Amino acid sequence: MNNWSKQLLISFLIFTLVPFSALGQEEEGFPFPTFLYTLKNGLKVVLSEDFSLPLVSVVVAYHVGSLYEKPGKAGLAYLLENLMFQGSRNVGRMQHISFIQRTGGTLNAATIEDRTIFYQTVPSNQLALVLWLESDRMKSLEISFSKVEQAKEALIQEIHHRQEIDPYLASSLFFDQLLYPDFSHNHPVFGQEEDIRNITVSDVKKFYTSYYIPNNAVLTIVGHINKRKTLQLVQKYFSSIPKGKEITPPVVVSPQLQKKIIKTFSNSLASLPAFYLGYQIAPPASPDYYPLRIIEYVLLRGQTSRLYKRLITRQRIAYDLKGNIEQRRELAALKIFVISSNDIMLTRSEKAVLSEINKLKSSLVSDDELIKAKNMFKMDYINQYATYLDRAIFLAENMLHHNNLDNLSTELKKYMAVGSSEIIGIMHRYFAQGQVLLKVKLK
Amino acid sequence: MRFSNKILLMLSILFFCLGSYLLFPQERFRQSPPYPEPLQELKLPEIAEAVLSNGLKIAVIRYDNLPIVTLRLVILTGESASSPKLPGTATLTANMLKHGTLTLSAIDFEEKIESMGGNLTISTYPDYSMITLNLLEDYLDQGLYILSRMLLQPSFSKREVENAKRSLYYELIKKNSNSEQVAKKVLSLLLFKDHPYQKSVLNQDIIKNIKRENLLAFFQKYYRPNNAQLILTGNLNLNTATRKVSRYLNSWSKKEVKLPLVPASHPNSKLKICFVDMPQQKAAIIYMGNIISPLNSSNYFPLLVLNQVLGGTPGSRLFMNLRESKEYAYYAFSQIELFKICGLFYIRAKIRPEVVYPSVMEILSEINKISKEKMPSFEIEQAKSYLIGNFPLKIETHDLLSLRLAQIKAFQLGPEHWSKYYQNLMLIDADRVFDLAQKYPLLTPVVIIVGNGNIIIDHLRNFDEVGIYNNKGILQYSIRKESSNETR
Repeated sequence: MNNWSKQLLISFLIFTLVPFSALGQEEEGFPFPTFLYTLKNGLKVVLSEDFSLPLVSVVVAYHVGSLYEKPGKAGLAYLLENLMFQGSRNVGRMQHISFIQRTGGTLNAATIEDRTIFYQTVPSNQLALVLWLESDRMKSLEISFSKVEQAKEALIQEIHHRQEIDPYLASSLFFDQLLYPDFSHNHPVFGQEEDIRNITVSDVKKFYTSYYIPNNAVLTIVGHINKRKTLQLVQKYFSSIPKGKEITPPVVVSPQLQKKIIKTFSNSLASLPAFYLGYQIAPPASPDYYPLRIIEYVLLRGQTSRLYKRLITRQRIAYDLKGNIEQRRELAALKIFVISSNDIMLTRSEKAVLSEINKLKSSLVSDDELIKAKNMFKMDYINQYATYLDRAIFLAENMLHHNNLDNLSTELKKYMAVGSSEIIGIMHRYFAQGQVLLKVKLK
Repeated sequence: MRFSNKILLMLSILFFCLGSYLLFPQERFRQSPPYPEPLQELKLPEIAEAVLSNGLKIAVIRYDNLPIVTLRLVILTGESASSPKLPGTATLTANMLKHGTLTLSAIDFEEKIESMGGNLTISTYPDYSMITLNLLEDYLDQGLYILSRMLLQPSFSKREVENAKRSLYYELIKKNSNSEQVAKKVLSLLLFKDHPYQKSVLNQDIIKNIKRENLLAFFQKYYRPNNAQLILTGNLNLNTATRKVSRYLNSWSKKEVKLPLVPASHPNSKLKICFVDMPQQKAAIIYMGNIISPLNSSNYFPLLVLNQVLGGTPGSRLFMNLRESKEYAYYAFSQIELFKICGLFYIRAKIRPEVVYPSVMEILSEINKISKEKMPSFEIEQAKSYLIGNFPLKIETHDLLSLRLAQIKAFQLGPEHWSKYYQNLMLIDADRVFDLAQKYPLLTPVVIIVGNGNIIIDHLRNFDEVGIYNNKGILQYSIRKESSNETR
């Protein structure tokens, strides 16, 4: 009997003889049931049953993204994401897409700084098909010279397209370089043209074999499933994929912006002046992150947020306003971007933004305003698991961040417990000396 | 004894394959896709309905997965009821409802909504308007109160009317810089020429002429409970919903509403090619289609299958031909748009400008093919399987569920669009699709091409005749093939 036959027999015995509860961990206290299990090769599996609709969503999330790229190879993670649709040992080029679409399902993938996620939703009777497809490309992706060259060309075209449609792209990339301290954190996920041209087949193969391994991945399955049967399928398709080498995560940097950085960027593409303002803040692992997210909502979320009301509705000094908290693995930043119709309006906008930030340092947010910010946050938080797919992504991301789901039952409560006085302290801690201001001037 | 070269080659291939297998063995189940399990039954959520004494119809769908409630009010009158001289009246009237009430300024009103974790969206279509409020379920009472203030005490202050007009004006200007929106707009303008549905294509210059009195008159006439349907989705039952809605909306007064008659619309009867110049565009956009009428349930389901085979998804014929095979297009899809009295079937494609002529001809040839040849059974079955598999995704969220119900109510569609959806699809075969393809005027569409004239104009001379239009759908001049003469 060869190895895989033995493995199958063992799996079969395990699943028929061992009580189900002994196989993994049932998580409690959350609005939906979850069940956590780890295969011998290190693949973490999360299941969540929901029988409302005959659908199932499957997510495979790898703990790798642009942060793991070496200087000179920017774009490698995103390139590999694209290659994952170009065929594996038993699945032809683009067949993954056509198999899913034929069932009436939907699919996509996304790469960000610290993760790459592949996802699909199909009628629940097609679960095995998805596991077959996902396991095939995890086990035996076919990486050839012609496929890599094609993917490189497509990626370069995409960069050109991005440059054409976004006149502020170059300035936003420059802003990231000022705000984040090193290459790993401050280069774009979609890469850089000259780096992409230099990527070789061997680079791609090395990246694939280093990171697209079961012990660096999470598989989440949400929907109309039978847990026992689903775990049997997961065993069948994934357990024989060999464990990869342990991964050394990228070096953690701890940059502290101690001073104000003010720079100017000359832009020949944009037709209106703009500025970026950024602050380095605590990452999600920190208890400070909870009040920081509520501050984000007070300042920037919705049409009655402080900055929107002041810059757009009341004073009409800004043409466009965007901003959010952004997270890049162990670093996080609050970024604000304002476009005004002329330099005078832009200067007024800049003063108004800084004045609103200062106000939060000196006076308490009223109860009504705090409730509004928290309710808007709560709505967004809940909507993270509105559909089966949303839930599957939500669970996968939580697993990647925390390596467990222990925090799920208490997470929202921590945001809801943020108080006004806490906000003042946090504002002084993170919105003091260190800030980056980049002004975009028209050429 | 010597082996021939051929045998040597065959042996090497054999050893190579065997070697690969021994070196990299794989389980047999990996070699081909698994068969699906039997399709699980779709249990549709029940729709519970009631009517208040003032005639307001209520429909409730219990959906308890999330602590969120969606309130969707459908006013069963849309842009086709605007005065012919003032298209946009219906849209602006609906938009005014988010501009405050007699007791709440526009900004205080928005604060109230955001305080409930809510968001309010308003949209107007040719046959109906929709006000949709999503909020945290703890705030259902406050949400209904806000809705009642919008309907019983809307502000319509002069200042807010001007604000609403300005927002709509800039929104329309912005749409004019999007080549796809321009193409769709001109297609609708030409197909619905002199028909009330043409009014739903708004013109920013006319918006300026609409006065507060026009909006108030429209509101008084059509925003009546007996001309509305309220859909609630969330963790609530009909009794609770009726009691709560009644508490806040019982005083909304009833009045007879005479809906203007919408006459039958006539399809285009001769292929018509039109071009709109948008100099900055790198790619060219094609929108081509025709009015399909009548669109009753016996036509609707074969049409769904036809659309799926022709251009519903990237696996469909148009995409596979124009993008994958010919490499003309970035995308090519077909689509169905529903109206109360008819439908619009159209194809949209984004292509390289220099292949505008072969692209249009290729699309026409694909349409010709479906009206001349019966589709093979496997394609029909594949399309049905897609549509059946995809249906639950169309009702997966509160919002999608209530949107589908709103359309069913607005277009007065029967149970075949809800509880009998699967059964109706299962009955479709190649004959019914073929009959339909011959019945509908698919081969005489209006074709709108939008793109950079400097690049495209020479390619347009391949067509027999092309009308050159501005982005308001007005003919400027024509060019003809024979002499390449321009006719003004």
